[in-house]
Amino acid sequence: MPARDIAIIGYAQTPSQRDAIQSEVQLLVGTITDAVTMAGIERREIGFTCAGSCDYLTGGPFAFVSNLEAAGSWPPISESHVEADGAFALYEAWMRLQEGDIDIALAFGSGKSSPSNPAEVWAQQLDPYYLAPLGADPVSLAAIQARALLDAGRATERDFAEVVARSRAQAASNPNAQLSGAVDVDALLAAPYHTAPLRRHDLPPISDGAAAVIMARGDKARELCSRPAWIRGMDHRIDPHQPGVRDITTARSATTAAKKAGYDGGPLDVAEVCATFSPQEIILREALGLPEGTQINPSGGPLAGNPVMAVGLVRVIEAAARIIGGSADRALAHATAGPLLQQNLVCLMEGE
Amino acid sequence: MSTDSPARKEEMVMEHLVSLTYRERLTPNLNRFVDRILEGELIGHRCPSCSRVYVPPKGYCPLCVVTTSAEDEVKVSDRGILTGFTIITPVAYYGQQATDPFVYASVLLDGASTPVGGQDITGVAHGRIHTGMRVRAVWRPPAERRVEGITNRGWGGLDAVIESFEVTGEPDASPEDYKEHLF
Amino acid sequence: MTERCAVIGIGQTHFKKRRDDVSMPGLLREAIDRALEDAELSIGDIDAVVIGKAPDAFEGVVMPEIFLADAVGATGKPLLRVHTAGSVGGSTFIVGAHHVITGIHDRVLAVSWEKQSEGNAQWGLAGGRSGGIGAGGAFAPWIRAYIEESGAPEYIGWMVAVKDRRNAAKNTYAHLKMPDITLETVKESPMLWDPLRFHESCPSSDGACAVVLTNQAGARRSSKPAAWIDALSVRSELGQFPGRNPVRPQAGVECAHDVYRQAGITDPRREIDMAELYVPFSWYEPMWLEGHDIAGPGEGWKMVDSGETDIGGAFPVNPSGGVLSTNAIGASGMVRFAEAAMQIRGTAGEHQIDGVRTSLAQAYGGAAQYFAMGIFRSS
Repeated sequence: MPARDIAIIGYAQTPSQRDAIQSEVQLLVGTITDAVTMAGIERREIGFTCAGSCDYLTGGPFAFVSNLEAAGSWPPISESHVEADGAFALYEAWMRLQEGDIDIALAFGSGKSSPSNPAEVWAQQLDPYYLAPLGADPVSLAAIQARALLDAGRATERDFAEVVARSRAQAASNPNAQLSGAVDVDALLAAPYHTAPLRRHDLPPISDGAAAVIMARGDKARELCSRPAWIRGMDHRIDPHQPGVRDITTARSATTAAKKAGYDGGPLDVAEVCATFSPQEIILREALGLPEGTQINPSGGPLAGNPVMAVGLVRVIEAAARIIGGSADRALAHATAGPLLQQNLVCLMEGE
Repeated sequence: MSTDSPARKEEMVMEHLVSLTYRERLTPNLNRFVDRILEGELIGHRCPSCSRVYVPPKGYCPLCVVTTSAEDEVKVSDRGILTGFTIITPVAYYGQQATDPFVYASVLLDGASTPVGGQDITGVAHGRIHTGMRVRAVWRPPAERRVEGITNRGWGGLDAVIESFEVTGEPDASPEDYKEHLF
Repeated sequence: MTERCAVIGIGQTHFKKRRDDVSMPGLLREAIDRALEDAELSIGDIDAVVIGKAPDAFEGVVMPEIFLADAVGATGKPLLRVHTAGSVGGSTFIVGAHHVITGIHDRVLAVSWEKQSEGNAQWGLAGGRSGGIGAGGAFAPWIRAYIEESGAPEYIGWMVAVKDRRNAAKNTYAHLKMPDITLETVKESPMLWDPLRFHESCPSSDGACAVVLTNQAGARRSSKPAAWIDALSVRSELGQFPGRNPVRPQAGVECAHDVYRQAGITDPRREIDMAELYVPFSWYEPMWLEGHDIAGPGEGWKMVDSGETDIGGAFPVNPSGGVLSTNAIGASGMVRFAEAAMQIRGTAGEHQIDGVRTSLAQAYGGAAQYFAMGIFRSS
């Protein structure tokens, strides 16, 4: 792992909300501006920009092109785009910084899930020859995963409800959360099934949102931020696509990504994980090897707000914010893509 | 076993048509734009930083990256300059309804800093269309105006309100007046 | 600490209107297997995969790399998906190279593709609406502006079309091969987007292109010559704003100047031996020659007119036949980089130019607003 000191020094996110009245570009205009302001830089100091979004979520080809309007793209900028969550844009920008010729990079992610039916859209992500014609949607797949976890004796429906209750309770202090507040586990368990064994609260809300992160290298980071969130390692891995050829009660690629990111299983103050369905938090806790005592998703996580294409980058922001704010010394952030935690990214951060 | 008989080939093709529906509320700035064009009036937002006028209003200035709001609203003329065009022979594809060659032109309205694209030009033979021509909006009758095609993604839809832009016969504008608006 | 990066393996599929004989995974694997064979490596030797394609709507699969992970040999590895419109193949190559240059990985596979016959690209480009203008409709007004400003005769566009289709006839993998095409053939073809005629426009192809990238240690282990990357750059700008010059976009100017600076080039027309430029419509050859300051203002079309950009000319452009002959959109940018690297390695076969030591690759996309460029050298 190359040892270039790169840190997060600025960030911003919109609240997660249903039916945002702003366009995706408008959501980004304010968010990127806020991140730049927090970092205490001028836009022209940004040496590389990387964006993450999804055409199919926005509902048109080349949808990401208009997002350039929020990035300050005149005069021309050095810029790239990933058809993926902003966390993968962060990876590309982090990599680009390591070449050493630039000091500051911007990564952002954005998406509005409200205009479409996410279950229909994401069903089109499955293998078009063998899986998509079956009409399996992400919720049904997640229910199969939850069932496998129950059948393996590794969790109970009460465990799922406890994940939800803790998420909502912790989200109470997160002004960007969409769902928050005290909920009783027994009351949750009394709710009818949505797609058995999942209940509605085991699913994430439908959210619109955007997030942006500013990174800087070495002395530049120290100059701009009194306590930068140093990225000690970042890695992402992908598993086979067919759910039938992998153990869906675990996420092997998350385990590999955590190791390659330099996470050794040692103490963590905070882990922000992209558990979009409540059983996935249980799977990720084991796959990432999170030790007892780690605060998991203090923001409430995706169950409290799920702005797809930004939600992974929001995990990085929530973890970095706790380091920059001084309440954590070591934090892990996780992002995912594909059905049933197929692709996983891990970012390990520390204070000085 | 023959693998290249026509019947066998047909079996290899799997039709999988997918229909996805997107419903998105218009942004407040576009909502206002739609209200005004139904009344026969065109508006934009003037950037408080650089004074450029964007039509329709975006809610921000992409050059200054500052937000704009109703306070920055200005009215622009329904007359302007033809700044660029092509004549398109439609390509047949699923959902395509156009069959005859059509004009696809950009018009810089008087008072605006950005042209409106994808407009039809009338009152002149296709062969005589040229940049710099002065044009004016041909509004559809109020009862016939439709705005369903106007979306947050800005892919047109104005033609259901303004049928076309017809040439006025005034002298051509000087290239100096529109050279910054080739789009 | 950065590493030098080299291309040691290149693979392309045969490009056709429809590749019904292979699935999407099969199409990618065809290019990947050729690249790995060329690099004398197996898929297990690859550390990371970078994949690029244009809009997902072209095939109707959301983020298809997710289902292609197995076929591209990415399981258990990093897989990153790039999408920068038409320039995506070039951007994907560049992102792949960054993995090596930074020392994060030793051997990286970059692959770009499009299987347009699986869906309907015109429908995709039109956003599922009627009245789509096609890519040509967007560029035609700027092409007209170039013709008016430069005073170029209309046969310049026909000349580029003839040259590229004849070059393609020498390229095993090209889609449109027209060894007998003449100026008359182009001139008599239907007008699609005035002033662009049918034969001045790119086809719609199925196909893929893959490259294996490695560091100095990896290149030493290869028995074949490597193409060394001496410069890489990307630039993006807004697609529409008052004062924009879409005929000579500033992002293209700055991207070119950045690669010339990195490679220590002060006189590109003399110091660069050949170029693969993204020319989906004939007029973009002279437009990019001027837009990247290879030729002075109004001089680009004269390079075409004098035959300087022919295979036997002083500054050959698109000996492969270019995008005009082969356009699997997502792959097209990477094919430019691959072909420019092949010319350095001396592996271009019938369309090989003698003695290429420095080559230029360029891809552009969107409203001529995304640029990806690279310079290769033989040492």
